[in-house]
Amino acid sequence: MARDLAIDLGTANTLVYMKGRGIVLNEPTVIALNRQTGEVLATGREAWQMIGRTPGYIVAVRPLRGGAITDFEITERMIRLLLQRVGVSRFTRPKVVICVPSAITEVERRAVTDAARRAGAADANLIEQPMAAAIGADLPIDEPIGNMVIDIGGGTTETAVISLGGIVALEAVRVGSFDIDSAIQSHIRREHGIAIGDQTAEKIKLAIGSADVTDDEVPAEVRGRDLTSGLPKTVELTPEEIRVAIEDPVSSIITSVTRCLSKAPPELSQDFLVRGMYLVGGGGLLRGLASRIERETQVPVRMSNVPLEAVVLGAGHVIEHYDDLKGMFMGARR
Amino acid sequence: MPMTSWIILAVLGIALVAIVAMSRRRRSDPAASFQRQIDALSPEARRGVTERVRDLTADDARIDEESDDGA
Repeated sequence: MARDLAIDLGTANTLVYMKGRGIVLNEPTVIALNRQTGEVLATGREAWQMIGRTPGYIVAVRPLRGGAITDFEITERMIRLLLQRVGVSRFTRPKVVICVPSAITEVERRAVTDAARRAGAADANLIEQPMAAAIGADLPIDEPIGNMVIDIGGGTTETAVISLGGIVALEAVRVGSFDIDSAIQSHIRREHGIAIGDQTAEKIKLAIGSADVTDDEVPAEVRGRDLTSGLPKTVELTPEEIRVAIEDPVSSIITSVTRCLSKAPPELSQDFLVRGMYLVGGGGLLRGLASRIERETQVPVRMSNVPLEAVVLGAGHVIEHYDDLKGMFMGARR
Repeated sequence: MPMTSWIILAVLGIALVAIVAMSRRRRSDPAASFQRQIDALSPEARRGVTERVRDLTADDARIDEESDDGA
């Protein structure tokens, strides 16, 4: 008998929770394929290491962008491999709950559930990421009080107000931490005339990226390819210039949080001043982001204890109480 | 088979159908299903998740300590 699964199929990382066991898989959402034969060569961490370093016949891709499936066939193969890795076979068909962005279209919704069913799931249901995040962050969403959660992922930012087990107000934008990496890449190309890869841009963000002025700001060196000469080149970057470079995506994230706050009913708004908003997702780890949101909204911001795992833990709780929480699935509340 | 056995079987059959119908009705009752959902989201029901969060946080702290010792 297969154990039921909860999957956080994120743009950046995929996490799998197995009923009764907890998190059994946590890997980058990347797949490496042979361009000529279409065979899968690697998935997860192994495939992630190949990004930007492959010979011509291999392609390492992220099949999700902005939380949406950009390649249905590749996503289906990736889900099938994921399920195989956690022990699902044609004889053991588990029920699966998948976390998806709330702004997902009907077509994308069907694409995800079809992919999971074809990959071996007996039944596949979807749950909104902010709802799962709120459960995983241990917010008291069963009570009639305003709980606000901001989930900043690789491709999307979702802010939701939740009360009595339901979403009261929601704001989603297809901007996430990959957009911050892209902004860094563009800035270095434009201002310093060198090209850098996705992984280098991410390293710069982690090393000196910030949304607000922080203590201990030190410059960093970056190596890339000179666009004019084609030779390797090293340049020095300051935290301040990176802060300016990523201002557009950071502003979009903060604007969406502000819009969500303005949509919340007044009775719940007053709860936020006392209880604060909870930040989850890898994007929320950007230095100075919590203090910047706090300053611009005048609402306290708290970081979840498990920002990267909150969504899958929340979905895991749903799979543990599948029959009682069926009403939380997308499409079940109509 | 004597008549009494048929009557007992019929009564048992009717009771079974009634039990199934009542449990289905209970499941489809919106108020009851909403209450079950709220109960399943209560802190008591979520204790399992809370404990897993605690385990993960403890693991992270241990890894941090080990890396500090290594450095």
